[in-house]
Amino acid sequence: MPRDPQLPGEAARIASETDADLVARTLGGDSDAFGVLVERYTPSVRRVARAVLGDQDDADDAAQDGLLAALVKLRQYDARRPFGPWLMRVVANAATDRRRRRRVRRAEALDPNVVAPGRAPDAETERRALGRRLREALARLPERRRLAVVLFDVEGYSHAEIGHILGIPEGTVRSEVFHARRALRELLGDWKEEE
Amino acid sequence: MIVDGTPFDHRPDPLMGAALRRALAADGHAAFVTRVVARAEEWTSGSWDAVLARWARVGVAAAAVIVVLTAGYLLRPGAAIASPSLSVADAVLSQPGDAQGIVTAVLGN
Repeated sequence: MPRDPQLPGEAARIASETDADLVARTLGGDSDAFGVLVERYTPSVRRVARAVLGDQDDADDAAQDGLLAALVKLRQYDARRPFGPWLMRVVANAATDRRRRRRVRRAEALDPNVVAPGRAPDAETERRALGRRLREALARLPERRRLAVVLFDVEGYSHAEIGHILGIPEGTVRSEVFHARRALRELLGDWKEEE
Repeated sequence: MIVDGTPFDHRPDPLMGAALRRALAADGHAAFVTRVVARAEEWTSGSWDAVLARWARVGVAAAAVIVVLTAGYLLRPGAAIASPSLSVADAVLSQPGDAQGIVTAVLGN
Protein backbone atom coordinates (compact mmCIF):
# COMPACT_ATOMS: atom_id res chain seq x y z
CA MET A 1 0.00 0.00 0.00
CA PRO A 2 1.66 3.25 -1.01
CA ARG A 3 1.97 5.80 1.74
CA ASP A 4 1.45 9.45 1.15
CA PRO A 5 4.42 11.54 2.11
CA GLN A 6 3.69 13.19 5.41
CA LEU A 7 4.26 16.81 6.22
CA PRO A 8 6.70 17.38 9.10
CA GLY A 9 4.04 19.19 11.11
CA GLU A 10 1.60 16.34 10.67
CA ALA A 11 4.23 13.83 11.75
CA ALA A 12 5.00 15.87 14.84
CA ARG A 13 1.32 16.12 15.67
CA ILE A 14 0.84 12.37 15.40
CA ALA A 15 3.97 11.77 17.46
CA SER A 16 2.55 13.87 20.30
CA GLU A 17 -0.71 11.91 20.45
CA THR A 18 -1.49 9.64 23.36
CA ASP A 19 -1.17 5.89 23.04
CA ALA A 20 -4.95 5.51 23.20
CA ASP A 21 -5.41 7.97 20.32
CA LEU A 22 -2.79 6.18 18.25
CA VAL A 23 -4.43 2.84 18.94
CA ALA A 24 -7.79 4.25 17.84
CA ARG A 25 -6.26 5.62 14.66
CA THR A 26 -4.50 2.34 13.98
CA LEU A 27 -7.78 0.51 14.35
CA GLY A 28 -9.22 2.96 11.86
CA GLY A 29 -6.64 1.88 9.30
CA ASP A 30 -4.01 4.59 9.83
CA SER A 31 -0.70 2.80 9.34
CA ASP A 32 1.26 5.93 10.27
CA ALA A 33 -0.25 5.79 13.74
CA PHE A 34 0.91 2.22 14.16
CA GLY A 35 4.36 3.32 13.01
CA VAL A 36 4.47 5.94 15.75
CA LEU A 37 3.48 3.34 18.35
CA VAL A 38 6.20 1.02 17.11
CA GLU A 39 8.76 3.80 17.20
CA ARG A 40 7.68 4.83 20.68
CA TYR A 41 8.00 1.36 22.16
CA THR A 42 10.85 -0.09 20.10
CA PRO A 43 13.63 0.43 22.68
CA SER A 44 11.54 -1.15 25.44
CA VAL A 45 10.27 -4.12 23.47
CA ARG A 46 13.76 -4.89 22.16
CA ARG A 47 15.21 -4.78 25.70
CA VAL A 48 12.45 -6.95 27.13
CA ALA A 49 12.80 -9.49 24.31
CA ARG A 50 16.56 -9.53 24.80
CA ALA A 51 16.11 -10.08 28.52
CA VAL A 52 14.18 -13.24 27.67
CA LEU A 53 16.25 -14.52 24.75
CA GLY A 54 19.76 -13.16 25.24
CA ASP A 55 20.68 -13.21 21.58
CA GLN A 56 19.93 -9.89 19.88
CA ASP A 57 18.82 -11.33 16.53
CA ASP A 58 16.41 -13.70 18.22
CA ALA A 59 15.24 -10.86 20.41
CA ASP A 60 14.53 -8.65 17.39
CA ASP A 61 12.57 -11.42 15.71
CA ALA A 62 10.57 -11.92 18.89
CA ALA A 63 10.05 -8.18 19.30
CA GLN A 64 8.74 -8.02 15.74
CA ASP A 65 6.49 -11.02 16.36
CA GLY A 66 5.18 -9.32 19.47
CA LEU A 67 4.48 -6.02 17.76
CA LEU A 68 2.68 -7.70 14.88
CA ALA A 69 0.73 -9.87 17.31
CA ALA A 70 -0.26 -6.69 19.14
CA LEU A 71 -1.47 -5.22 15.86
CA VAL A 72 -3.62 -8.29 15.23
CA LYS A 73 -5.00 -8.27 18.79
CA LEU A 74 -5.38 -4.53 19.03
CA ARG A 75 -9.17 -4.70 19.31
CA GLN A 76 -8.71 -6.68 22.52
CA TYR A 77 -6.83 -3.80 24.15
CA ASP A 78 -8.87 -1.93 26.75
CA ALA A 79 -8.17 1.75 26.07
CA ARG A 80 -9.03 2.65 29.67
CA ARG A 81 -5.82 0.94 30.80
CA PRO A 82 -2.22 1.91 29.99
CA PHE A 83 -1.04 0.61 26.65
CA GLY A 84 2.56 -0.14 27.68
CA PRO A 85 1.89 -3.03 30.07
CA TRP A 86 -0.55 -4.58 27.60
CA LEU A 87 2.03 -4.39 24.82
CA MET A 88 4.79 -5.70 27.09
CA ARG A 89 2.65 -8.68 27.96
CA VAL A 90 2.18 -9.51 24.28
CA VAL A 91 5.89 -9.04 23.57
CA ALA A 92 7.00 -11.04 26.61
CA ASN A 93 4.71 -13.88 25.53
CA ALA A 94 6.11 -13.75 22.00
CA ALA A 95 9.65 -13.89 23.35
CA THR A 96 8.81 -16.76 25.68
CA ASP A 97 7.16 -18.68 22.84
CA ARG A 98 10.22 -18.19 20.68
CA ARG A 99 12.54 -19.31 23.47
CA ARG A 100 10.48 -22.47 23.93
CA ARG A 101 10.59 -23.21 20.22
CA ARG A 102 14.29 -22.81 19.76
CA ARG A 103 16.95 -25.03 21.14
CA VAL A 104 18.92 -23.67 24.03
CA ARG A 105 21.86 -21.79 22.67
CA ARG A 106 25.25 -21.91 24.17
CA ALA A 107 25.69 -19.11 26.64
CA GLU A 108 27.76 -16.21 25.43
CA ALA A 109 31.31 -16.85 26.48
CA LEU A 110 32.90 -14.19 28.58
CA ASP A 111 36.09 -12.87 27.08
CA PRO A 112 38.63 -13.30 29.87
CA ASN A 113 40.88 -10.63 28.44
CA VAL A 114 38.20 -8.04 28.83
CA VAL A 115 37.55 -8.52 32.50
CA ALA A 116 40.81 -9.96 33.70
CA PRO A 117 41.80 -8.48 37.05
CA GLY A 118 44.88 -6.33 37.16
CA ARG A 119 44.20 -4.66 33.87
CA ALA A 120 43.29 -1.06 33.49
CA PRO A 121 40.76 -1.04 30.67
CA ASP A 122 39.38 2.20 29.44
CA ALA A 123 35.86 3.23 30.35
CA GLU A 124 34.28 1.96 27.13
CA THR A 125 35.95 -1.43 27.42
CA GLU A 126 34.83 -1.73 31.00
CA ARG A 127 31.30 -0.73 30.08
CA ARG A 128 31.21 -3.43 27.44
CA ALA A 129 32.59 -5.93 29.89
CA LEU A 130 29.95 -5.02 32.43
CA GLY A 131 27.26 -5.39 29.80
CA ARG A 132 28.42 -8.90 28.96
CA ARG A 133 28.66 -9.85 32.62
CA LEU A 134 25.20 -8.50 33.28
CA ARG A 135 23.72 -10.39 30.32
CA GLU A 136 25.36 -13.56 31.57
CA ALA A 137 24.12 -12.92 35.07
CA LEU A 138 20.62 -12.26 33.78
CA ALA A 139 20.69 -15.45 31.73
CA ARG A 140 21.24 -17.46 34.89
CA LEU A 141 18.09 -16.12 36.51
CA PRO A 142 14.72 -17.79 36.06
CA GLU A 143 12.87 -16.09 33.24
CA ARG A 144 10.14 -14.59 35.40
CA ARG A 145 12.70 -13.11 37.79
CA ARG A 146 14.69 -11.72 34.90
CA LEU A 147 11.66 -10.06 33.40
CA ALA A 148 10.52 -8.70 36.75
CA VAL A 149 13.77 -6.86 37.44
CA VAL A 150 14.07 -5.52 33.89
CA LEU A 151 10.47 -4.31 33.81
CA PHE A 152 10.85 -2.69 37.23
CA ASP A 153 14.36 -1.21 37.25
CA VAL A 154 14.82 -0.58 33.52
CA GLU A 155 11.37 0.03 32.10
CA GLY A 156 9.91 1.66 35.19
CA TYR A 157 6.66 -0.26 35.46
CA SER A 158 4.99 -0.58 38.84
CA HIS A 159 4.73 -3.86 40.70
CA ALA A 160 1.02 -3.97 39.89
CA GLU A 161 1.65 -3.42 36.19
CA ILE A 162 4.35 -6.09 36.15
CA GLY A 163 1.94 -8.42 37.90
CA HIS A 164 -0.48 -7.82 35.04
CA ILE A 165 2.24 -8.34 32.43
CA LEU A 166 3.53 -11.57 33.94
CA GLY A 167 0.19 -12.81 35.25
CA ILE A 168 1.40 -13.10 38.85
CA PRO A 169 0.37 -11.43 42.13
CA GLU A 170 1.93 -8.10 43.01
CA GLY A 171 3.58 -9.56 46.11
CA THR A 172 5.28 -12.17 43.97
CA VAL A 173 6.62 -9.42 41.72
CA ARG A 174 8.18 -7.67 44.73
CA SER A 175 9.79 -10.91 45.79
CA GLU A 176 11.08 -11.63 42.28
CA VAL A 177 12.61 -8.18 41.94
CA PHE A 178 14.31 -8.48 45.29
CA HIS A 179 15.74 -11.92 44.55
CA ALA A 180 16.83 -10.86 41.08
CA ARG A 181 18.71 -7.85 42.42
CA ARG A 182 20.40 -9.94 45.07
CA ALA A 183 21.39 -12.61 42.57
CA LEU A 184 22.72 -10.03 40.12
CA ARG A 185 24.83 -8.42 42.81
CA GLU A 186 26.22 -11.79 43.81
CA LEU A 187 26.90 -12.81 40.24
CA LEU A 188 28.59 -9.54 39.50
CA GLY A 189 30.82 -10.03 42.48
CA ASP A 190 32.81 -7.06 43.47
CA TRP A 191 32.17 -5.04 40.36
CA LYS A 192 31.84 -1.36 41.03
CA GLU A 193 30.68 1.16 38.58
CA GLU A 194 33.37 3.71 37.89
CA GLU A 195 31.31 6.54 36.63
CA MET B 1 28.01 0.96 43.03
CA ILE B 2 24.71 -0.82 42.78
CA VAL B 3 22.72 -0.06 45.88
CA ASP B 4 21.77 -2.74 48.33
CA GLY B 5 18.10 -3.56 48.24
CA THR B 6 15.83 -5.13 50.78
CA PRO B 7 12.52 -6.90 50.30
CA PHE B 8 10.91 -3.74 51.69
CA ASP B 9 12.63 -1.38 49.29
CA HIS B 10 10.03 -0.92 46.60
CA ARG B 11 11.76 1.88 44.79
CA PRO B 12 13.48 1.31 41.46
CA ASP B 13 17.25 1.02 41.73
CA PRO B 14 18.52 3.65 39.28
CA LEU B 15 22.06 2.33 39.08
CA MET B 16 20.99 -1.25 38.55
CA GLY B 17 18.47 0.02 36.01
CA ALA B 18 21.08 2.06 34.14
CA ALA B 19 23.52 -0.84 34.03
CA LEU B 20 20.86 -3.27 32.80
CA ARG B 21 19.62 -0.73 30.26
CA ARG B 22 23.12 -0.47 28.79
CA ALA B 23 23.56 -4.24 28.85
CA LEU B 24 20.31 -4.82 26.96
CA ALA B 25 20.64 -1.88 24.59
CA ALA B 26 20.57 -2.55 20.87
CA ASP B 27 21.60 -0.43 17.90
CA GLY B 28 19.58 0.36 14.83
CA HIS B 29 16.19 1.26 16.23
CA ALA B 30 15.28 3.11 13.03
CA ALA B 31 16.00 0.07 10.86
CA PHE B 32 14.01 -2.10 13.22
CA VAL B 33 11.02 0.26 13.10
CA THR B 34 11.18 0.36 9.30
CA ARG B 35 11.23 -3.42 9.14
CA VAL B 36 8.28 -3.88 11.50
CA VAL B 37 6.15 -1.21 9.82
CA ALA B 38 6.89 -2.66 6.38
CA ARG B 39 5.91 -6.09 7.61
CA ALA B 40 2.72 -4.73 9.13
CA GLU B 41 1.81 -3.02 5.86
CA GLU B 42 2.45 -6.25 3.97
CA TRP B 43 0.04 -7.90 6.33
CA THR B 44 -2.68 -5.32 6.18
CA SER B 45 -2.50 -4.59 2.45
CA GLY B 46 -1.76 -8.19 1.56
CA SER B 47 -4.65 -9.53 3.51
CA TRP B 48 -7.29 -8.46 0.96
CA ASP B 49 -5.21 -9.78 -1.91
CA ALA B 50 -4.76 -13.02 -0.07
CA VAL B 51 -8.48 -13.34 0.62
CA LEU B 52 -9.37 -12.57 -2.98
CA ALA B 53 -6.74 -14.95 -4.29
CA ARG B 54 -8.02 -17.68 -2.01
CA TRP B 55 -11.60 -17.14 -3.14
CA ALA B 56 -10.49 -16.97 -6.77
CA ARG B 57 -8.77 -20.33 -6.45
CA VAL B 58 -11.88 -21.82 -4.86
CA GLY B 59 -14.06 -20.34 -7.61
CA VAL B 60 -11.91 -21.71 -10.42
CA ALA B 61 -11.85 -25.14 -8.81
CA ALA B 62 -15.63 -25.14 -8.34
CA ALA B 63 -16.20 -24.07 -11.96
CA ALA B 64 -13.90 -26.82 -13.20
CA VAL B 65 -15.78 -29.42 -11.15
CA ILE B 66 -19.12 -28.21 -12.53
CA VAL B 67 -17.82 -28.36 -16.12
CA VAL B 68 -16.49 -31.89 -15.63
CA LEU B 69 -19.70 -33.11 -14.02
CA THR B 70 -21.87 -31.54 -16.70
CA ALA B 71 -19.73 -32.96 -19.47
CA GLY B 72 -19.80 -36.36 -17.83
CA TYR B 73 -23.55 -36.24 -17.55
CA LEU B 74 -24.11 -35.16 -21.14
CA LEU B 75 -21.56 -37.54 -22.65
CA ARG B 76 -22.43 -40.58 -20.60
CA PRO B 77 -22.66 -43.78 -22.70
CA GLY B 78 -26.42 -44.35 -22.35
CA ALA B 79 -27.42 -40.77 -22.94
CA ALA B 80 -29.86 -40.38 -25.81
CA ILE B 81 -29.04 -37.67 -28.28
CA ALA B 82 -31.99 -35.40 -28.32
CA SER B 83 -33.56 -35.02 -31.70
CA PRO B 84 -35.35 -31.77 -32.13
CA SER B 85 -38.96 -32.20 -33.08
CA LEU B 86 -40.05 -30.74 -36.36
CA SER B 87 -41.44 -27.28 -36.02
CA VAL B 88 -44.58 -26.22 -37.84
CA ALA B 89 -42.65 -23.78 -39.99
CA ASP B 90 -40.08 -26.43 -40.92
CA ALA B 91 -42.87 -28.82 -41.90
CA VAL B 92 -44.59 -26.20 -44.03
CA LEU B 93 -41.42 -24.99 -45.71
CA SER B 94 -39.84 -28.39 -46.29
CA GLN B 95 -42.88 -30.19 -47.58
CA PRO B 96 -45.26 -27.73 -49.08
CA GLY B 97 -48.54 -29.35 -49.80
CA ASP B 98 -48.01 -32.23 -47.39
CA ALA B 99 -51.08 -31.73 -45.22
CA GLN B 100 -50.47 -34.86 -43.18
CA GLY B 101 -47.00 -33.61 -42.27
CA ILE B 102 -48.31 -30.21 -41.22
CA VAL B 103 -51.04 -31.73 -39.05
CA THR B 104 -48.54 -34.06 -37.45
CA ALA B 105 -46.24 -31.15 -36.72
CA VAL B 106 -49.05 -29.03 -35.23
CA LEU B 107 -50.30 -31.85 -33.05
CA GLY B 108 -46.76 -32.77 -32.02
CA ASN B 109 -46.03 -29.24 -30.77
